[in-house]
Amino acid sequence: MITGVKITLLIAAVTAITSLFLGTIIAIMRKSRIKPLRVLGRLYVEIFRNIPGLFWLLFFYFVFPEILPFGWGDKLNTYIYYPIVASMIALTLDNTSYVSDIIRSGLLAVPASQREVAISTGLSRVQQYQHVILPQTFRKILPPLGTRMIHNFKNSSLCMVITAPELTWATQQIESLTFRGLEVTTLATVFYIAVSLFSGGVIIMLEKFYKIDIQSITHMEVE
Amino acid sequence: MIRFKNVNKWFGDFPVLRNINLEILRGEVIVVCGPSGAGKSTLIRTINKLEPVQDGEIIVDGHSLTNNKTNVTALRAEIGMVFQHFNLYPNKTALQNIMLAPLKVRGLRKKQAKERALKLMERVGLIEKSDMYPIQLSGGEQQRVAIARSLAMEPKIMLFDEPTSALDPELINEVLDVMISLAQEGMTMVVITHEMAFAQKVADRVVFMDKGEILEIETPSQIFVNSKHERTMEFMSKILHIPISSDHKKTE
Repeated sequence: MITGVKITLLIAAVTAITSLFLGTIIAIMRKSRIKPLRVLGRLYVEIFRNIPGLFWLLFFYFVFPEILPFGWGDKLNTYIYYPIVASMIALTLDNTSYVSDIIRSGLLAVPASQREVAISTGLSRVQQYQHVILPQTFRKILPPLGTRMIHNFKNSSLCMVITAPELTWATQQIESLTFRGLEVTTLATVFYIAVSLFSGGVIIMLEKFYKIDIQSITHMEVE
Repeated sequence: MIRFKNVNKWFGDFPVLRNINLEILRGEVIVVCGPSGAGKSTLIRTINKLEPVQDGEIIVDGHSLTNNKTNVTALRAEIGMVFQHFNLYPNKTALQNIMLAPLKVRGLRKKQAKERALKLMERVGLIEKSDMYPIQLSGGEQQRVAIARSLAMEPKIMLFDEPTSALDPELINEVLDVMISLAQEGMTMVVITHEMAFAQKVADRVVFMDKGEILEIETPSQIFVNSKHERTMEFMSKILHIPISSDHKKTE
């Protein structure tokens, strides 16, 4: 069961961080002047958002190795950690589609004038995003982003269907072996709730910490 | 220093700049005025290529803006711009606002950047507010920090897009004072403003624009009293609050 907890946390952490990076890239792609990039970004979001995460889990575990060429698929199937890897791939891709849209709405909420100032002081495109635009974006989207990350954490339990040894899977294993389902399920429930509440608390604390920046943004728009 | 040659610009089919020919010398202070929609903002924004032009040539500090090979990013570091709505970075303190560009573009060390920023805060009279966030500052203070921020890059040219239009009347003077001292130090400035007392004091020439065209370029005293176009007279009388066919300047 402890292993279950560790794997759950591992999957949740890796997918959260990766989807943040990927999500930022896709959100920026969708704002690009280059049409193919915009289209690609939109395509990605539509595909992964409209098809359930559970499907992608099954897809990456069962289907993906079959369609790979050169016998790579066989290597994947025999890799003992593949259920975990497949879980991470599927959940990341799924989470990214939502995260990128949240980030995109944050990007839209940063006034265009901020970018103009950054441009006019001679900052390069990358610098504009890194120092001016993205910091403001993330401060604005803390609430919905945090919520989505908690949801992603809960999605880790779906991975049991492809035998990733995370917590829910572990509880089911223990139940079938020892018939002590009640105890383990309760424990697991407590764990899930604890992590979710803790994450929620962290988000609220972050919001308070950055309150001065978020306040100022609305103040300036009023002016 | 800045030269416009037969510049034309359209937004779609709508002409916003028509046949602009203007030369601004180093150290000159140019005030641009005119009715709303005349193209003044657009004109000033073409100087640092925030707006591109479709026709004509713009040469800034020897570099052609219309030439695709010109490194505009490097050029922008030499041009400072102050906006009507201040546009400070809300998630950074006044000092951090000022320090950002020198740190990242000029590659200054943190200590040097901080020293420079503190000197500038002192120059605009706000040193005690260095660690405050924009939301904690009044409009006039925010604008002065914005000016300090642009000066941090030690630019050769300063552009001002209606810097005092969004300010309470009492706060206008503190910003104008900083601009006047800049002008007296020999900075090349292009200022869009309707503060005619300011123009009278430091402007070398006043450019009057209407409907995308430059109608007149005169010295401040000439343009208020002796303008060639009726449209200019009409506009000047409105902003100076004097009747139209008077040849007297605004009296007390």
